[in-house]
Amino acid sequence: MSARSRHRLELGILLTPATLFLIAFFVVPLGIMVVMSFLMPGLYGGAEWEFYPHNFGRILGFADPMFEEFDPVYLAIFWRSVRIAALTVLCTFLVCYPAAFQVARLPDRWKNFCLFLIALPFFTSLIVRLFVWVLLLRQTGLINEVLLDLHLIDRPLDMIYTDGAIIVGMVYIYVPFMFLPIYASVEKLDWALVRASQDLGAGPIRTFLRVIFPLTLPGVIGGAIIVFIPALGNFVVPEVLGGAKVLMLGNLIEQQFLSARNWPFGSALAMLVMAAMLVALLIYVLTEGRRGSDPALSL
Amino acid sequence: MRIARTIGRGTLALYTALFFGFIYLPLALIVVYSFNANPINMMTWSGFTTDWYLQVLGFKTKISENALYLESTDQLLAALRNSLIIAASTTVIATVLGTALAIAIYRYYFFGKSFYRVLLFAPMLMPDIVLGIALLIFFVGVGAHLGLMTIIIGQCTFLISYVFIVVSARLAGMDRTLENASADLGANQWVTFRKVVLPQLMPGVLGGALLAFIISMDDLVITYFISGVDVTTLPIFIFSMLRRGIKPEINAIAVMMLAFSFVVASLGLYFRSRQK
Amino acid sequence: MSDQIVTLENATRSFPVFEGKRIYALRGIDLEVRRNEFLTLLGPSGCGKTTLLQAVSGFIDLEQGRILIEGKDITDVPPHRRPVNTVFQNYALFPHMSVGENTGYALEIAGTPVAERRKRVAEALEMVGLKDMENRRPRQLSGGQQQRVALARAIIARPKLLLLDEPLSALDKNLREAMRIELKTLQSELGISFVFVTHDQEEALTMSDRVAVLNAGQIQQIGTPRAVYDAPATTFVATFVGASNLFEGRREGERVVTPDGIAIRSRSPAANDAAVTALIRPEQFSLTAANDEPSLEIEVDQVVFVGSAFELLGRTAGGRKLTALIPASARGQVGAIEASRRATLYYDPASVHLIAPTEAAQ
Repeated sequence: MSARSRHRLELGILLTPATLFLIAFFVVPLGIMVVMSFLMPGLYGGAEWEFYPHNFGRILGFADPMFEEFDPVYLAIFWRSVRIAALTVLCTFLVCYPAAFQVARLPDRWKNFCLFLIALPFFTSLIVRLFVWVLLLRQTGLINEVLLDLHLIDRPLDMIYTDGAIIVGMVYIYVPFMFLPIYASVEKLDWALVRASQDLGAGPIRTFLRVIFPLTLPGVIGGAIIVFIPALGNFVVPEVLGGAKVLMLGNLIEQQFLSARNWPFGSALAMLVMAAMLVALLIYVLTEGRRGSDPALSL
Repeated sequence: MRIARTIGRGTLALYTALFFGFIYLPLALIVVYSFNANPINMMTWSGFTTDWYLQVLGFKTKISENALYLESTDQLLAALRNSLIIAASTTVIATVLGTALAIAIYRYYFFGKSFYRVLLFAPMLMPDIVLGIALLIFFVGVGAHLGLMTIIIGQCTFLISYVFIVVSARLAGMDRTLENASADLGANQWVTFRKVVLPQLMPGVLGGALLAFIISMDDLVITYFISGVDVTTLPIFIFSMLRRGIKPEINAIAVMMLAFSFVVASLGLYFRSRQK
Repeated sequence: MSDQIVTLENATRSFPVFEGKRIYALRGIDLEVRRNEFLTLLGPSGCGKTTLLQAVSGFIDLEQGRILIEGKDITDVPPHRRPVNTVFQNYALFPHMSVGENTGYALEIAGTPVAERRKRVAEALEMVGLKDMENRRPRQLSGGQQQRVALARAIIARPKLLLLDEPLSALDKNLREAMRIELKTLQSELGISFVFVTHDQEEALTMSDRVAVLNAGQIQQIGTPRAVYDAPATTFVATFVGASNLFEGRREGERVVTPDGIAIRSRSPAANDAAVTALIRPEQFSLTAANDEPSLEIEVDQVVFVGSAFELLGRTAGGRKLTALIPASARGQVGAIEASRRATLYYDPASVHLIAPTEAAQ
């Protein structure tokens, strides 16, 4: 066999199984989901093969006009999810940036150890990390216990089952996602630029605002995106820490599939999450193009 | 002026210490309180006990005689067994397929390479819930029974990506001149691959596999949608227990999962970054 | 008004190397930089010249000693408050700002109004030969252009002192030589003192009003280029600046006698029987005698043609290596030497410099 066709054979052997697998179990299911979002829900679950734009309409409040009136409840849920996801991104950023900045300037041994410490919780189960906060934030949780013992409060605080609890939980989970891109960005910083800025008369704060932060911005944006997307579609955190009170997009989708059995509508909602993801990616690609640097995503 | 600088630096260092405290203190706390003998107020310390662990593991204890919380240890063990079977299977499949893909992309030039990169990064970027429901629709649509098999397949979609990314990074960091030296000394491509590339790759692959294993064991969202009613995995088990109410046994199970994850992940991370 | 811009007193700084050992980058250095002078710090890698520069700009603290600018003690003043600006070795241009924004940065920080800032940026850029380039980005510029921006950026705020850290080392030869002239011109136009760091002795000699030769954290000699070249204070300076033939021995009358029996005549003053080192630069040798000059006989190992001159590499009878530089005009005689492999080198005793013993021990 010639070298060329041997190469082709090897390439084929290496490439084919995984490719087929991914096409069959990734591309196709997503495609079906897209199609389903345009179908009419069947009476007993499943879908009728008929074009039905009202799934998307319902998101905007306009469900099938024959049966339902204008009800923007879903939009409200969507905006609440966006709001909470955005706040999560903001809080995660504020929490992570100073620490990532500091770690990037440590000597190598410490750096690697800290990176290890950051990566480790990522490999534990979501549910365990959330359980922790249930125990801390409950009425009979540790925080209330301690505050009561210290006589700082008379009655237990209402912490769990609020928007705040959800944000705390999500921040806790998404810290590794935000930390690593920021860290990578700070690490690549040319410190001669910092010295140059100071040399020219800028104090530490001005130097940070004018030189350091703009140059680490790509990392921040990268981190923001890889936190925002999963935060938007998250249903576990709102369920565990939000209780039945706070309904987010993720819970809504879960309901459509496992209780309400309106799969087309659920698919349409999932498309919404995907759309948000694509918009976020677009923003990232555009800003990366302008600045020409690339935060490392290496989990 | 120098004092101000030192204070500034000290504050940052202090903040970083607090930051790591924020991450690890809650975990430390649940470990500590899993030994709390108080069956009612889990966070009010009333003595040390290992009873919760013993009970979870199936032993009769003083506490369990007063309550019938845990339906049966059998359920827990079934969940654990499922998790392990799934994890083992997905790890093997994903490691083989992901590594093969990484090698193919690394060695050969072919049409549509960038398409492949997109295809392989997509499962990692996709929100879990979207992937979960897409798979659910798919499996139900083709009439597959939701069980171990569907979970394994579903998890592989993103684990293949994960292994691919890890192995690719490893390959990219490898010294290509070593391969050239090997060829120069008379070894053909296959021998070079076996004797030069593979040994260097192995720690990375091993590390990636261990991490894939633990990701599989810890997965909640995707598994949740495609597991059906028959099959429960450990994270789903805990999730359902949480929905019904908080009990000290959950704490014990959670801590055990945590310890297991930490050990395996540490090994995985160690191997992944080891230079051979 | 005082003639000194910057004074360093007993500047000392060390760094830990390993196992508790420390290396002294600066050892008790005393230095004065005068108004409107072009001073070069010359020395090999690791001699402390960059550390000295960073101490003056404020990025390195002194363990001992002080730094004064126009009489004011600025030892504890942080870099952003010192009236000193630096041209960094890799230029350190802000990649996310335009050329104009880079140049005007110091003014922006100082709060200069936009209109005036724009005017001064245009002036500065024109001064360095980059007229109308305000809107370009650093990555669009060549190395030489980037360096000019770095220069413009550093002078725009009219600092008392400009520090240049090996600014020409990344440029190719022709550009480097052109830049040397430009820098010198710029310095006299601006009237700002320049402290220029380099390891290239040719640069030091051609550009400077004064040269400070550093080694191992100390200033070995500071003086005009001619003084440093013609009358080096130590053997280190003699060998680092220009090529040299050194003869260490004792003074006997009018001669310096080396242990291997070579006698060098020198008219320079020195105490009888003192240990001294005589210096004869390769170009001080000649193949023709001019009224009764002394000479040295050598066996010629190699004749190297360097274009404008011939380098004769050879050895004395006692095995001591010598180098002579003979102008190309003497090519006839060189031809004969190449055949016979022997040469007689004449020198003028009046120009044989003697290096005193204590420093000669370096």
